[in-house]
Amino acid sequence: MKTMLALSLSLALVAGPALAQKKEVVIAATGGTMERALVEHFYKPFEAETGMPVNKVTTELPAQWARVQANARTGRQQFDIVTATFPDLIQHRDQLVRIDCDKLPNMKRAAPGACMEYGVMRSIGAMVMVWNTDMVKGKTPESWKDFYDVQNFPGPRGLPDTGDREYWVPVTALLADGVEKDKLFPLDLDRAYRKLDTIKPHVAVWWKSGDHVQQILRSGEVAMTMSYSGRALIMSRERQNIHMTFNQSIRDVGIWAVIKGGPNTDGAMAFLDFFMGGPERHVKFANQLNTATANLDALDLLPEAERRRRANHPDNWSRQVMPDFEWIGANREKLRERWVSWLTR
Amino acid sequence: MSARRPSAFFLGGRHLSEAASLALLVPFALLLVVVFLLPLGTLLHESLLVPAPTLEHYERVFAQPVYLRVMWRTLRIAFYVTLVALLLGYPLAYVMSRSGGLKLGLMAAAVLLPLWTSVLVRTYAWMVLLQRNGLVNEGLTGLGFVDAPIRLLYTEGAVVLAMSHVLLPFMVLPVFSALKGIPDDYPRAAQMLGASGWSTFREVIWPLSLPGVVSGCLMVFLLALGFFITPALIGGPQQMMIATLVSQQVREMLNWPFAGALVGVLLAFVLALTIAFNRFIRLERFVGTRS
Repeated sequence: MKTMLALSLSLALVAGPALAQKKEVVIAATGGTMERALVEHFYKPFEAETGMPVNKVTTELPAQWARVQANARTGRQQFDIVTATFPDLIQHRDQLVRIDCDKLPNMKRAAPGACMEYGVMRSIGAMVMVWNTDMVKGKTPESWKDFYDVQNFPGPRGLPDTGDREYWVPVTALLADGVEKDKLFPLDLDRAYRKLDTIKPHVAVWWKSGDHVQQILRSGEVAMTMSYSGRALIMSRERQNIHMTFNQSIRDVGIWAVIKGGPNTDGAMAFLDFFMGGPERHVKFANQLNTATANLDALDLLPEAERRRRANHPDNWSRQVMPDFEWIGANREKLRERWVSWLTR
Repeated sequence: MSARRPSAFFLGGRHLSEAASLALLVPFALLLVVVFLLPLGTLLHESLLVPAPTLEHYERVFAQPVYLRVMWRTLRIAFYVTLVALLLGYPLAYVMSRSGGLKLGLMAAAVLLPLWTSVLVRTYAWMVLLQRNGLVNEGLTGLGFVDAPIRLLYTEGAVVLAMSHVLLPFMVLPVFSALKGIPDDYPRAAQMLGASGWSTFREVIWPLSLPGVVSGCLMVFLLALGFFITPALIGGPQQMMIATLVSQQVREMLNWPFAGALVGVLLAFVLALTIAFNRFIRLERFVGTRS
């Protein structure tokens, strides 16, 4: 894995436009549709406007951080910008450059809080509740309380066994048990797992990826499930009987972060500023990936019905849970051990 | 004979000069060192000595019940898979060893063709068959055996079934070659001496095929212990095996030392088992020559 990464990295470096006049910006992000959308709507326009080439590196997040940590030991960083989650910003803070939001003019058009001390929000989604109206007998579940209520909403459930499930799932249990969304943290794990014990026999699928959650919704394997909002959006457009709510959904944001000691930190800041501008680009990007972005003007360009489907619509935004990532970061091993131990029993 | 100088490869004989055998082993040994021993050593080194010598990761493996539980489950599933592969594979290998021509060719193809198909594809095929609205459930409900679809996927039975299917060739091939190596005269002689079909099998064929059975079982069992894709896709969390835990520690927690400790414990167990089995094989041979 490491050698593969090193190989592809060196290939990418060799193949990059070595003769370009301006210094390139090295950006690490996940591949597939995300990469294609980034290239089309941000990397290419950025190159055209600034003359600074973007050297894109395709990577999975754990491999990317492993590389950053390894490079920190040798003192030579390869990436300027990386992809991060909220917990990453805390766990890897020592490797990140502080971002001076006042010096980036386009951040004035960003949603409040989108430009953070150590990161800029790239794609905004949430872990939402999705259900199949045929299977829950036409009723409309409103919150996680209904998800845990198998009497009134019968049918098999789906929950994730991937990503940050070690706090996503306990959070739903506490919300269902009546804890206010602002008083969740620090998580009362004993209470959460007591509640989780009640739903476990009804969980038919512990899904492993975004494709997987779509597939179990499509095949009718579950009546209700937690899902990435992007995948839920696709499914709700594809099937009449599949619905979703942002109520009590858990904020899940993809973030740009700048690596300390990277080859072109000024270029990285220029890219971040460029990224936040251009509402048309944000609309296309968000539509293509079924996500939302922090550019405020972009939301205005969408029809009202579509706006309501986005995590950053003010109504949806205010109903989301913002996890306490400082606490999660400090307790990650404990959270995971409890989760695996409970799940495999 | 003395007139002919033994060449490096000593044509006509069975022995190679020591230098020649060493030279022939070098490429493989190098590969083994670079892609297996080195990474494994690094991982174990991290688990024991980085940043300072410590046993804390190994202590965690034994202190938290979840890790031993998953380890135990891994052993249990691997055992069942070996048993199923043996029960399905032995009769097949037996028939193959007593057939020839087209019949043998067809059976060999049936065993070998799946080996050439990606494990992932075979695993997905099982998912399609076993899912809630899959072929098996539709058949069962259609024929009226069950009222509502039953849960087949994400169960231990499904994992054992799919893994046995994937690993079956590793049982059939060694058993087949052991059976093929038994001269036809032996069972014939047994029968001439009045042995029934069953006692011919029990007294002659089964003992002589044991080395093949043992190596087949060992191969299937060890491969099953480290299986990753199939249990991850076919099984639910209650079927999580040790390889999945190791990969989570590496990919999600970035905790290489603890992953190394999990690998170390598994490796110690596998080594102990292999040594024990080796003894067993030798014992069998000894018994075989005496009678």
